[in-house]
Amino acid sequence: MSVLQTKGIGKIYHSKGNLSYRALEDIDLNIKAGEFVGVMGPSGSGKTTLLNLLATIDRPTSGELEINGVQPAKLSDKKLALFRRRELGFVFQDFNLLDTMTIKENIILPLVLEGVSPRKIEEKLKPLAIMLNIDSILDKRTYEVSGGQKQRAAIARAIIHQPALVLADELTGNLDSKAAKDVMDALKDMNERLGATVLMVTHDPFSASYCERIVFIKDGKLFSEIRRGTNRQAFFQQILDALSVLGGNFDDVPFARA
Amino acid sequence: MTFRSLALSNMKGNWRSYSAFFLSCVFSVLIFYMYSAFIYHPDVVSGHILQASKIRRGMMFCLYIIGIFSFLFVLYSNSAFLKTRKQEFGLLSLFGMTKAQLRKLVIYESIAIALLSIGAGIGLGMLFSKLFFMALSVFLKVTDPIPFAVPLKAIGITGFGFFILFVAIAILTSLRIGRSELIDLFKAGRKPKGQLIFSPWLVALALVSLGSGYTMALMLDPFNFFYMALLILVTVTIGSYFLFTQFSVLLIRFLQKRHSFFYNRTNMIVLAQLGYKLKDNARILFMVSIMSAVILTASGTFYLLQISSKQQIYDFYPYTVAVMEKGIHSHDVIDLDAMKEQLRAEGFPVTDEKIVTGIAATNIKLTRSNGNDMEYNPATMIISESDYNRLAKDKGKKQLHLKPGTAAMPGSFSPPIERITGSVQGQPIDYAAAAEPSESIMNQTKLNYMTVIMGDADYDRITAGVPEADQLVWYGYELKNWEHAGSALDKLKVSDDFIDQIDRSRPNNYANMKDTSSLTLFIGLFISLLFFIASGSLIYFKMFTELQEDQAQFNALKRIGMTRQEIRKITVTQIAIIFYLPCLIGTIHALFAMKALDGLMGSSVWLYSLVIIGIFVVMQTIYFLLASMSYSKGLNRGTASA
Repeated sequence: MSVLQTKGIGKIYHSKGNLSYRALEDIDLNIKAGEFVGVMGPSGSGKTTLLNLLATIDRPTSGELEINGVQPAKLSDKKLALFRRRELGFVFQDFNLLDTMTIKENIILPLVLEGVSPRKIEEKLKPLAIMLNIDSILDKRTYEVSGGQKQRAAIARAIIHQPALVLADELTGNLDSKAAKDVMDALKDMNERLGATVLMVTHDPFSASYCERIVFIKDGKLFSEIRRGTNRQAFFQQILDALSVLGGNFDDVPFARA
Repeated sequence: MTFRSLALSNMKGNWRSYSAFFLSCVFSVLIFYMYSAFIYHPDVVSGHILQASKIRRGMMFCLYIIGIFSFLFVLYSNSAFLKTRKQEFGLLSLFGMTKAQLRKLVIYESIAIALLSIGAGIGLGMLFSKLFFMALSVFLKVTDPIPFAVPLKAIGITGFGFFILFVAIAILTSLRIGRSELIDLFKAGRKPKGQLIFSPWLVALALVSLGSGYTMALMLDPFNFFYMALLILVTVTIGSYFLFTQFSVLLIRFLQKRHSFFYNRTNMIVLAQLGYKLKDNARILFMVSIMSAVILTASGTFYLLQISSKQQIYDFYPYTVAVMEKGIHSHDVIDLDAMKEQLRAEGFPVTDEKIVTGIAATNIKLTRSNGNDMEYNPATMIISESDYNRLAKDKGKKQLHLKPGTAAMPGSFSPPIERITGSVQGQPIDYAAAAEPSESIMNQTKLNYMTVIMGDADYDRITAGVPEADQLVWYGYELKNWEHAGSALDKLKVSDDFIDQIDRSRPNNYANMKDTSSLTLFIGLFISLLFFIASGSLIYFKMFTELQEDQAQFNALKRIGMTRQEIRKITVTQIAIIFYLPCLIGTIHALFAMKALDGLMGSSVWLYSLVIIGIFVVMQTIYFLLASMSYSKGLNRGTASA
């Protein structure tokens, strides 16, 4: 069953003075339930634009997008927000945890907004927190925990309401390599044990090597696609090779945003 | 790009954040100009407008208050405003701008703002000054309208004064920028929010001080007023402070523990953020609540003073005209029938006439239990109980029932008097003082500064042998429309020998009282308004300094699928709490203060207080609606671009 399906979506930005810029063109993408897909590409290739379109916070100028059988383009603003809340989960590079709340409150936010009863919330939270190894920091506040822990909390938040699709944006961009590995292990775990469907945008070959399938885009178009065999080390090498073919500048690790 | 153009483009780009600051500056200038335009109005200076000279001093006082207030207000808004721009300054100094240059930039900006707001303020002030003069004319009862005028002196003082004020404040605040380290400037907006903590002891202190302050307010009476009032002020202030800084945290923590409430949709975000908002703003909210209490109490008190002074007028001058004659039929003071006729012709017919006969007493001595006796030399008149009761009944006062051998003297004595002695027609008299209280029912004149009331039998016995020519007779007249009878009464011809035996000063005293009290009311209301606007602006500023931070939070929430309606609900709830909480606390304080005043003055002003509170709430609501609208706008603008 396919969770995400795009048919020839594209995005053209118009600026004043009739200058238009084609950020994305004719993308066909099909993601099945339980898949773990990566999107890679050099700076300016349109990764972020693609993610914004999939996240429904931006609308495509051409083509069709369908997530879990629903076409977001046909929804009103309010319904779209509710759709995002119920069907999608987000993990961001800069965590986007609210610093006025504890880790626990951040994680359960999607359920609280839906009006789920406190008892059910607790039932859902507990196993997830244990699985992600953050059960000991639930009552801490965001500034008291490490980046890796924050990102695992963000994963918990993205998954607790069992969305159809989890979108991750450079989720290891702000982390050191040990924390990055922990976070990727955790995400993989969610994918394998809970069957969460994940689409991840990254520039980091190591993080990408956790995916089952990687789509490369260049200059706003699909460029190639590779699938993982059994060995992650071999896959990692394969990714590096693909990137060298792809060319372009990959040093686009941005500084932590304010 | 010169420095000046950088400063100007800063203002253009940041107009939203400048606008609140700018508008409050314009407002201060506007008010200041209107007042000085009145004070330096050519007609007022030349003394053309008689009433104006009376209140000029009061207006000067207002002007000083506005000046001091503007200084504090601009100082606060300026520093709050600069705080929001710390990161910007950090960036500029990172690019190599020296501290001196940064200061220069800030001073340039302030001068630009100063010139703009002084220009706009004086311009608007000129526009509205006629309206202001008209309002003043009504209060002052000036018949000829005060003409529109633009006194150069007013413009000079306003313009020059505010320019100095702005520049001084700019220099003060710019010195502060220079002191911070670059890294601090950068981190300013990103300091982690600590845990919400409170001290149980301080919470207890808050509750105990508020409780004891309120209890004391309820027990307040004229005797303990002076030391209690101060104590109440101190305890309530301390109580409110800790109520906002400590108790609020306790309350929020309590609500957060109640999961069925806390884990209910947007409640979680509202409460989580509110905790920090309350903590960050505790001092402002505390100040605003005290200000609200002051506004409400002051307006109530002014009104109460006005009411009670009218009552005093009635107590002191029970009748509009009173004539005292010696000798029952002498009529040597004035021809009473001619007087009545003259007054009727002037449009003030007599509506009530009272005649009381009595007898003069001399060497009155009041004996008290503690030996602190009083000897009265002023003229005293003895009247009968039935005469007293006749007049008292008419005025709705209590009837007196004297036992034989006792006498009463109107007024309250502390400690009470025991015996009244003196002499009548050379014969000594000695009576026990009645325990029953009596009140003054006759206007005072030269012959009856004091009154002694006796039982009818005693009175008859004393007056038995007194010839009619030695008896006193008092005439009291009530007039229709007496409030306006002042000049008609002044026209009555009385020979200089008897001028002190007629009392006709009620209308004039009443007019004087009204003038002063309506002026007091005007100044009081004006200062209340100033406080109100300042308190609203304080909250408004504080809100906008947090706007950026909130934008980041709501952006995050929007991305994970929070609807616009939910975000709106959250912000409106938070703003409402921030706006109405100090208003509520202030109202409670004011209600207790009014209750205390009630006890003090013995007259009730509840209806009036409720009206004042109502007006206050309505105005606060208008402010709240404006604030929440522009806040949502700012928020949407920020989130839409993300």
